[in-house]
Amino acid sequence: MSEDIAVGIDLGTSYSAVAAMLEGRPQVLANEWGEKTHASVVSFLEDGSVLVGNNAKKNIITNAENTVYSAKRLIGRFFFSDEVKKAQSVMPYRIVEGANHSVRLQVGQRLFAVPEISALVLKEMKAIAETALGREVRRAVVTCPAYFNDNQRQATKDAGRIAGLEVLRIINEPTAAALAYGFGRDVRQRVCVYDLGGGTFDVSILEIGKDVFEVLSTAGDTYLGGDDFDDRIMSWLAEDFLKAHGLDLRQNKFCLQMLKEASEQAKIDVGREGQARIHVPSICQSPEGKVLDLEQSLGADRFNQMVMDLVQRTFKVCDEALQSAKMTAGDVDAVILVGGPTRLPIIRQSVRHYFGKEALTDIDPDEVVSLGAAIQANALVHAGAGSAGPSSYLLDVTPLTLRVGTVGGFTEPVIAKNTPIPIEMSKTFTTSRDGQDRVRIRVYQGESKRAEECELLGEFEFTGFRIAYRGEVQIQVTFEIDSNGIVNVVATDLETGQKASTTINLSSGLSEKDIQAAMAKNAATQLAGRA
Amino acid sequence: MDDRFRAEAEALAKALDQLDYFAVLQVPQTAGLAEVKAAYHRESRRFHPDRYAAVPDERLRAAVGRIYRRINEAYTVLRDDAKRKKYLADVLGPDRARKLRFTEADEVEVKEGQKRKMEEQLGQTVQGRKFFSAALSDVEAGRWESAERNLKMALMYEPANARFKEQLELVERSRPKADPFKIR
Repeated sequence: MSEDIAVGIDLGTSYSAVAAMLEGRPQVLANEWGEKTHASVVSFLEDGSVLVGNNAKKNIITNAENTVYSAKRLIGRFFFSDEVKKAQSVMPYRIVEGANHSVRLQVGQRLFAVPEISALVLKEMKAIAETALGREVRRAVVTCPAYFNDNQRQATKDAGRIAGLEVLRIINEPTAAALAYGFGRDVRQRVCVYDLGGGTFDVSILEIGKDVFEVLSTAGDTYLGGDDFDDRIMSWLAEDFLKAHGLDLRQNKFCLQMLKEASEQAKIDVGREGQARIHVPSICQSPEGKVLDLEQSLGADRFNQMVMDLVQRTFKVCDEALQSAKMTAGDVDAVILVGGPTRLPIIRQSVRHYFGKEALTDIDPDEVVSLGAAIQANALVHAGAGSAGPSSYLLDVTPLTLRVGTVGGFTEPVIAKNTPIPIEMSKTFTTSRDGQDRVRIRVYQGESKRAEECELLGEFEFTGFRIAYRGEVQIQVTFEIDSNGIVNVVATDLETGQKASTTINLSSGLSEKDIQAAMAKNAATQLAGRA
Repeated sequence: MDDRFRAEAEALAKALDQLDYFAVLQVPQTAGLAEVKAAYHRESRRFHPDRYAAVPDERLRAAVGRIYRRINEAYTVLRDDAKRKKYLADVLGPDRARKLRFTEADEVEVKEGQKRKMEEQLGQTVQGRKFFSAALSDVEAGRWESAERNLKMALMYEPANARFKEQLELVERSRPKADPFKIR
């Protein structure tokens, strides 16, 4: 038993948590101060050490340029994507372009790939677990939003490796939540997981049959989260201030951070008490040198009005998930809420209205994902016995349709969304020119026929097959989606059976060399406040 | 890990390409959706790769992985009514040996079949279909005037559509004739 430990890590946009199986029960591990959730914020200190977690969050204002938060919004994205452009305008840290259209974060003179930042959060989670358990932890299951594409999953897995963890599996957050709910409970139900996180929204419909957790469908919006609720309050406060004093607080990154913090607090207060008092003393100075305070109060009605369209957007996603599962809202036996923003009364009421039933209340929306990950981690390390088998089986699906590019900027589907994974599918390609010695295939994920509306996963180039007249060489390309939701591509010359060699020309990911270098860098980095 | 399972898994992995999806899931060809699902859960409990994740024997893990991918493939086809119908016809037909796996070409064929059927029933153009189906629900509800209007609109998009014309005649016949000279 001594080395058979693996933890579950919920790597969130705003907050992360780590859990482990102790005496047959999953438990969230607290740090030295008893905190169970930790801000996914990384602050680079002057002495070269790195501060991660709730204390680092305070540095967003005082050490803005050297403090990185919400890195998950950028993970696995190309530099030219909309999300990166949006982040550039609001984040106080610098976002620059790296090789192959990748995203790099500049902190002082140093450049970091996004997975390196996430790796520092994971390093902290690992350290918390090691302190709590009193032993070394080397293996983990890490969660990601169900709607993450291959690039984002691969980058999350890379982050784990960089942090010195063997990532046993990447599992979907809603699936993990359902596992934590159904574990050891012997339920036979159809459940809906409504997962509104800091930056992403996911819905999964599952059928739980005792120990089998079958995901029937998944839908999501990777551009919708609790942060958008904060943004609404922020714009309202800023517009109001502009009207009163003629100064736009959003123009100054320092004021913007204060505003952001006040907005997040206001959202929490209005959810808890139905009323929020916003008071930020000396938020800025007028041109005449007068120190100005920000003073406002926000009622529940006003707040609900501001965010109503965001709430409605979540139910459009629910509609889509139910339709894919060939169900209606009334067929759902239980609703599981995940993520801090689901504490808001407006969400609870809307969920009750939509599903016609109360959401389960005995589940902590901040902890449930890491608990599920811990259960899965434990199942994977103790599966060796085989005969007994783990007590739960996850039957998950791929959230997005896998496509290949065709001529004229179009794509055609290879593996449809909501197909159970792991799965493989083959497609035959042929040469289009005489003497052609290489075939290039672009692989995409998304629901549009147009390539530009899908996410590019990479360009594969196959060589090493026979050289012949056009149309004579048939190359069978097998696309595989593994249990992590990660895509693998293999090509074979159908006639000779010879495997063609593959090179990836375009990819947002890190090369093996980059990862090795990042691992060394990560290992050498000292976490502040830890010996 | 018992040797019997090892032998069984390796034999099954080898024989996989000779089995049809019904054999993979071990269900009769007449199995309903509930039966297919139950079989999928049953086989998942036996061959889910997670169950063998910590087994050091790489060959066994590869065999289980191959079997499980095929189980998922079988389930994807057999749980879908349209795909399953085509697949059943294929494996009962003369080409059985080549048709044991549902390929992307089969999928395209199923989709086209569904599209053809829809066009046959409801018209070839988007607008034509829209007005025609509106007319059909009008007829059902006895709104004769509205049905007539919708059918005439549908015929504007597809003037040669025989089904549209036939339906219009029917509406004109069934529509109660109002006597313009009747004094109430």
